[in-house]
Amino acid sequence: MKKKKSDRPAIIGRRDVLKIAGATGAAVVFTQMVTTGPLSTEAVEGIGRRTHSSESSGEHEWHMVIDLSKCIGCQYCIMACQATNDVPEDEMRWNVGFPETTENGVDFFMTRPCLHCQEAPCVKVCPVGATWVREDGIVAMDYTRCIGCRYCEVACPYDVRRFNWKVSNKANPYQPKWGTAEVPPRPRGVVEKCTFCVQRIDRGLEQNLMPGVDPQATPACVNICPVGARIFGDIFDDESPVSIYLAQNDTFRLREDFGTESKVHYVRPEKEA
Amino acid sequence: MTTTQMTLKRTVVSTFNVWVGFLVIMILVGIGGMANVLINGLQVTGLSDRVPWGLWITHDLSSIGLGAGAFTFSAIVYLFRMKRFEPLARAAVFVGFLGYTSAMIALAMDIGRPDRFWHPLVYWNVHSVLWEITWCVILYSAVLILEILPIVFSHGYFQRWPWLAKFGHTLHKGAPVMAVIGMGLSLLHQSSLGATYGVLSGRAIWFKPSMPVMFIISAVAGGLSLTLLATMLTGKLTNRELIGTDLKREVARFAGYVLLGYLYLKIWDWAATSYYSHAPGTASALSRLQATTPYTQTFWWLEVFLGGVVPAMILLYPNWRRNDSALMVSLGLIVMAVVVNRWNVTLSGLVVPPDWSPGILGGVVAASYFPSWTEVAVSIGILGYGLLAFTLGVKYLPIYIKSDGK
Repeated sequence: MKKKKSDRPAIIGRRDVLKIAGATGAAVVFTQMVTTGPLSTEAVEGIGRRTHSSESSGEHEWHMVIDLSKCIGCQYCIMACQATNDVPEDEMRWNVGFPETTENGVDFFMTRPCLHCQEAPCVKVCPVGATWVREDGIVAMDYTRCIGCRYCEVACPYDVRRFNWKVSNKANPYQPKWGTAEVPPRPRGVVEKCTFCVQRIDRGLEQNLMPGVDPQATPACVNICPVGARIFGDIFDDESPVSIYLAQNDTFRLREDFGTESKVHYVRPEKEA
Repeated sequence: MTTTQMTLKRTVVSTFNVWVGFLVIMILVGIGGMANVLINGLQVTGLSDRVPWGLWITHDLSSIGLGAGAFTFSAIVYLFRMKRFEPLARAAVFVGFLGYTSAMIALAMDIGRPDRFWHPLVYWNVHSVLWEITWCVILYSAVLILEILPIVFSHGYFQRWPWLAKFGHTLHKGAPVMAVIGMGLSLLHQSSLGATYGVLSGRAIWFKPSMPVMFIISAVAGGLSLTLLATMLTGKLTNRELIGTDLKREVARFAGYVLLGYLYLKIWDWAATSYYSHAPGTASALSRLQATTPYTQTFWWLEVFLGGVVPAMILLYPNWRRNDSALMVSLGLIVMAVVVNRWNVTLSGLVVPPDWSPGILGGVVAASYFPSWTEVAVSIGILGYGLLAFTLGVKYLPIYIKSDGK
């Protein structure tokens, strides 16, 4: 009896037991690493940051309207931006503007901040997660993480991003006339861009101010516009200036065919007759 | 003292020494350029916010692409067990290693913050192809080092430490495993380098699924060609027969078929995106490209005709393939075409950026780029490094072994 039994190959041998134990152990360790360990979402901040999001999940979502039919081309918005965000070099402008003409020959002045795309091409490509879509829809930058590879500049179809090719040694010509610096200067070798004056929005909300309504909590370019051509606010709030303006006007966004879902809306320079 | 001086006087300066001296000068020029970049920042380049990538990215893409011979030969020899290709495997791995290290030097210069080169390893964005490429390139470089170490350790100098040679031997036994890992990593990142452009939905001229496929196939053709060309040149210059004639012609024929496959894809890629269809973004970008840049011309003449049709014919027509000069010219043309292709792909998408203005003036201005002297100097230095390392490697290491095993 005994002999017969040992002749038969065991269904599960010692080696198999070891293999199964090893595999189970490896699986447990792997699961640990991915859920709470060094590979977890919390530990790997790049994954935690929303680099691939389709809808915002926050309380607010900040949008801007630029009414090209109202704009008079004074360029105050450009200068206020450079003063407030401490951009001394004109070629580094976050908020660009240039004279334009429609197909029908109507002259207008085109301005463009960062469009804060919900499906931002720049955010998806950043290899280190140094730029991401915040819960309130703002496309933010982490200057301490950026490695300066400039893939975001390559990916952005709107020429929004600016690289610090050098340390600017000239005094900011727009300060203090058009505002004072509210953010520290960025180091050489990183990419920067318009932030919708996020420092004002975050501080304003802490002080129970409403961005788009209270000037202290509203982007500098919106505040300074003498003709009210820039409107800002929370699109989740039906009573916000931006929601009301969007409801009352025909608007479009730049190159919607790219699927970027940008948060800056434009009113055409020539109103339909 | 006197004897040394006498020998110095009598020694005829050998061609080898002149060549090495020339390469050292190239490297010194490169070091000068690198110092300029590190001290003054990237303002010393010809790059701008509209054309943020240029010569160095072309250098990266080309040297990684042309290093693809390493994974191709490793896979052929150690995975598919076609042992007759083995005499070229070490050279391919060595060329690949030099290509990848060249790319890393160029990248270190190109990123604005070289001190943060390790960030992709710690801060992950799994949605970025560049993140995946960084990981693959680093891991694959490690594989290449593991594949090279046995060759280095088999050098006489290391015989004083017998355990090193033993370690090298053990590593070499793992060659099939490393071939599998290497092939996996290479298939990933060689394609992803094309996807770097192919996934950019906001850039019509690049946005197409053929990009990653075309990049890897051209890399295989280019990698095979560079390995064979370097071997043939070395053989001619040192008057040695490094590989057999049959092997040489078989590799040439293989490269020819890969090139033919690439041409087929390329023609269809062009036909589908520009001839048989009319996607507004692509069409306007291509017409602006034709009007303002030479890239349409360089595409047809350098990439398709001189770098594709001509070498494919030479490599696939047996009578022409037997002529060593014609063979080497065609291999050189393929290498040239890979470099031109990487330049064309990078620059064409950047110099005609999408027109986003609702007016009619915004899209008229094309961006422009011309590399600065510093960029050229750095590239010369990196090229000098690759050539010097190859020269010394071939001279002092058993890169080329007899086809019968040891």
